[in-house]
Amino acid sequence: MAVSGKVIKTRIKSVSNTKKITKAMEMVSAAKMRKAVSAALDTRIYATIAWDLLINLSKTEKEGIPLLEIRQVKRMLVILITSNRGLCGSFNSNIIKKTAIQLKNPRNISFQRAHNKHTQPSEHVEIDVIGIGRKGADFCKKNGYNLIASFNSISDKPQLEDVLVATQIVIEDYKTKKYDKVVVAYTDYRSVVSQEAKIRQVLPISEFDLEKTISGLGKNENLLNRTLSKEPQEKISEYLFEPSKKEVLKTILPRLVEMQIYQSLLESSASEHSARMMAMKNAGDSASDMIKELNLTYNKTRQAGITQEIAEIAGGAATLG
Amino acid sequence: MINFKIVTPERLVYENEIYQVSIPTTSGEITVLPSHIPMVSVLAVGELKIIDKDGEHPYAVAGGFLEIQDENKIVVLADKVERADTIDVERAQEARKRAEEEMIKAKAGEDVDFARLQALIDKEMNRIRVGNKYRKLK
Repeated sequence: MAVSGKVIKTRIKSVSNTKKITKAMEMVSAAKMRKAVSAALDTRIYATIAWDLLINLSKTEKEGIPLLEIRQVKRMLVILITSNRGLCGSFNSNIIKKTAIQLKNPRNISFQRAHNKHTQPSEHVEIDVIGIGRKGADFCKKNGYNLIASFNSISDKPQLEDVLVATQIVIEDYKTKKYDKVVVAYTDYRSVVSQEAKIRQVLPISEFDLEKTISGLGKNENLLNRTLSKEPQEKISEYLFEPSKKEVLKTILPRLVEMQIYQSLLESSASEHSARMMAMKNAGDSASDMIKELNLTYNKTRQAGITQEIAEIAGGAATLG
Repeated sequence: MINFKIVTPERLVYENEIYQVSIPTTSGEITVLPSHIPMVSVLAVGELKIIDKDGEHPYAVAGGFLEIQDENKIVVLADKVERADTIDVERAQEARKRAEEEMIKAKAGEDVDFARLQALIDKEMNRIRVGNKYRKLK
């Protein structure tokens, strides 16, 4: 008899306690995830309408509007959205890995893509990072990337106000030409079991990237009775703009930036909770397996102990008799 | 009847068939009746008033834009919307006081956040005004 029954019993107890904890965390994450997903879907209405408006306005001259200006990239900014807490499987490591690849090779990501012309980045591209969530900020500090700001106090239910400070920095620095390109690294929520780390361009506002973000928002199409691909070309002349097209664009463009970053944050939050839920579910399952195995071993040792005792008694009786 | 929607980045606030709506825009308040021509405009801080079959519904809005589409459809994309009767006037007053105090500090020192603070004060003033106006009605 190698292990005593008592040791195994303690082991079983501790594993079942762990199982209780993971089960509770799984349930909490499931509830949070549902909320996060519905929040992500709710912003889609706004996003779609704002997007439609932008398409309607896209025929206007692009010069003179700083947020649409495409420049050669000398310095760029990455907004890295991660979680504040751990225990969520590979959620953080996936997005950090993806970002790290880009940070190591900045020339590739700083290539400007537009409809008709591509702009090569300059020889040496510098990258700064804004970290949303503690894990991403920690990563930057550890690896010596230039972290200009970090937001660690964003709640589980992000409000638009939470990202306004970050978007303010982004928009101002883009206008003053400190940065020539801004991207956001976030985790796209596909379903409970699948999330994907993604990097999307925020500034200059790219119709291509924005459309990808919006069309990726959930697959529940019956909500979307206004499709993205309607023909806005004929409608443009019919619109009346008050006070002027330029004024309208000035209001709508920063909103679109805010919206895109906010949406990324919501997607990440939904992904984080579902990743945590899956991680906890797996942990709970393996705890169950472990308990089963330990129970088997326990019973075996108990049985062995009894058998041995009987054998001893029988042996003793035989010598006496 | 007009199909009317108020949307914020967070959620869909209001959707209904309405008779008319008064909207504060940067170029003055407009009232939209059915069969309005398509228009895009910028929202100002102020009071938005909807009239539908149940009567008047006042809202406090703060910035954003609106789109009047064909076929009697209006969409208001607001940064912030609040129903007049859910406004907590006391809290709005406190918020305004805080903003004004900050403003005094900012005036003494640097003037970086001047515009933002002024906008904040305007928003809270608007909430107080709209909130007070309809508190008595209840």
